[in-house]
Formats: sequence, structure tokens, C-alpha cells
Amino acid sequence: MRVLNPLLIIWLVLAVGLQAAKLEFKDQLKEVNAPADVTTVTTDFEFTNPSDKPVTIAKSDPGCSCLKVEISGGKLRYSPGESGVIRATFDMGNFSGTVDKMIALWLDDDAPEKPSMSLTVRVHIPILVGLEPKTVKWEIGGSREPQTIKVRMAGEKPISVKTVSSSSADFSCELKTVVAGKEYEITVTPREMNSPGMAVIRIETDCELVKHRTQQAFGVVRKPTPAAAAAKP
Amino acid sequence: MRAALGQLAVIVGISLAAAAGTYWIKGAPARVLRCDPSRLKPGELCLQQVPLDGPVLWVDARLRKEWQANGLPGSVLWNLDGAEDTQAMEAEAALRIVDAPRVIVYCGDENCGLSHQVAEKIRALQLAEDVSVLHGGWRALREAGLIKDSNRTP
Repeated sequence: MRVLNPLLIIWLVLAVGLQAAKLEFKDQLKEVNAPADVTTVTTDFEFTNPSDKPVTIAKSDPGCSCLKVEISGGKLRYSPGESGVIRATFDMGNFSGTVDKMIALWLDDDAPEKPSMSLTVRVHIPILVGLEPKTVKWEIGGSREPQTIKVRMAGEKPISVKTVSSSSADFSCELKTVVAGKEYEITVTPREMNSPGMAVIRIETDCELVKHRTQQAFGVVRKPTPAAAAAKP
Repeated sequence: MRAALGQLAVIVGISLAAAAGTYWIKGAPARVLRCDPSRLKPGELCLQQVPLDGPVLWVDARLRKEWQANGLPGSVLWNLDGAEDTQAMEAEAALRIVDAPRVIVYCGDENCGLSHQVAEKIRALQLAEDVSVLHGGWRALREAGLIKDSNRTP
């Protein structure tokens, strides 16, 4: 038994050494409320190496060209107890609503297909021009009943709809002002119900922010879906 | 102490011999993607659950340059890249999606969350009734031999 004690100690030391060390983050999910007029959003993920051996960030992948990742000025190896920051800069582009972006992190000898950590940036971007619904649908052979898309402006300043156009002559669009600068209705009517068709409905507004200025909705005439067909007697 | 080290050497030797034997008999560790239908996230499916001869529209959620280089033939691009003209891309994809009875979105691999976000956008637009995400993404398609690298738009 006296012989086994040092052996056990050596084995335990080796076993501990074999465990993969990880970085400890204050938050792995960061939520940011972005103003509508900003073009980029930056958030920092602070971390520490709580293990007793150095950890190297071998690779990071933001999975989107809209997200830039910087790691503490390029420093990738962290001694025990050492801290660092991963800075994520999100280019808002044409995004709106809630957007989740994930950063995968490969530490030390992580397999290429298995990063050991992931970070999420959740950005809430105001929807200044809201459409409901974004798609109006009819079934082939059905009724040519017009359908309405409601347009609601969410910003503090009024936003007016200037023009509405359909990409297809098979769909007509009619704009109605409910409350000027705040609320509008677009009535869409298909001209042909005997064959499939689709139109992209473009809504041009006078919104100051270019990325919110033009919106689009869809008008579709298509075959009954299996679910709809099954629901019929 | 010498005895302990001797024992350690024996244990290490036996372990190495066992590992070498396993490698010789069974080969190198398998790094192929495995998909267990019982462990999928909501809205996901395994490639083996997809009837490949059935009418499926594949949506590639990766970057345009990746789609152009090695996207699945017949697939359509729909990503969340800020560099894209989002509305033009959505309109182009929507034209194909409305005619598809089944839409499956893929991105790079099982660690990529983009396909779920794109699938959610397609569902929100109510363009298709059946929208799923392929577990393992492009990697699963490549391992199944469905991807052929090329420099042409799929």
C-alpha cells in the first residue's frame, strides 16, 4: 500500500493535467438595445482563466461577415488567473428586430468540428416600419377577395408611405392612409386565380434612415397546401 | 519509489499497447458527423430523414462566396450577411420558396446557428408550410457525397 500511494498521487496529477481547461466568462450572452440610427454595436465579453494551466484561444469564428471579433489586442495565450476581453463589433447592416449572433471559440486542442465554447450577442434593433402580414396568400381556384397589409410606423418622428408598387401585373395594390405619418393600409388583389403567381410588393417611405426606407411584402397565389386540402371536407 | 515508477511504466505500457491494438484493429478515431434523431433541436432533422429524391428546396445560409464555391446544386442563397442586398436576396429566394413543398436550410456545420435564424425568417414570412434545419449543415451534405466543390453558382 505504501508503494501505491506515490503511484496514486502521480496518477491523479496526470489525470488533472489531462482535463481540458476552459475560460470563465462573466456572461456568455450579451443583450444590446441598439438605437435605430447607429451603424455598429460593440460589446465586450470579459473572461478569466480559472484553471491552473495556460489556455490558448486557438480560433474564433463569428459565422457572419457582419460580426468582427477582437481578442485583447491579439493576445491569445492566458496564464492561470489571467484575464482578457473578447470584443464583438456588430455591423447592423439591414437587420431589424431581434438578431442573435454566435461566436464559436476553439481552445487549445479542440477538434475542428467541436469548439468548446460559444458566446452570443443578442441585438434588439427597432422596427421603424412594421408590416403585418408580410405575405398575403390565395389558393388557386379560390375567391379573389382582396387582402390588407397594415403598415405601422414605430418611430417618434412621422414616416409617410410615398409609393407602393407590385413587381407583377397580376397583382394590384392600393394604398390608403389611416393616420398620416403613422398608419397605412395596402389592399392587394390578384387578377388571376387559375394559375400560380407571385409579386414582390415594394413600399417606399420617406424614413430618414436609408436602411428602413424601403420595405417589401409578398403576394402569392398557389396550390392548396396539403394541410389546407386535408382540412376541406 | 523505484517500484512505484516501475508500476507506472507497466500501466502506461499496457495502455499504449491497448491503444495501438485498437487503432490497428478499428482504425483511426472516427470524426464523421453522427445525427441522432432523438437528440435534435426543435425544427431540425437528420440528413437520413430527408428523402433525397423528393421535392426539397435547399436554402444555403452561408456566405455568398461559400455558396458559390460549393453550395448544394439547386440550392438558393439566403443568409444574414450585412454585406448583402437583403431585400433583393429575399425576393429572389422567395420566388423559389413559394413553389417548394418542403424547404430545408443548412449552414456550415452543427455549430452554426445561422440556419435556425434563416428558417425562422422564412417561417415568419409564411412563404412555406414545411421549413426545417439540417443538423450538421453543409458538413453533413459533404460527408454524404452530395457536395462537389466547384467555382460555379449552384
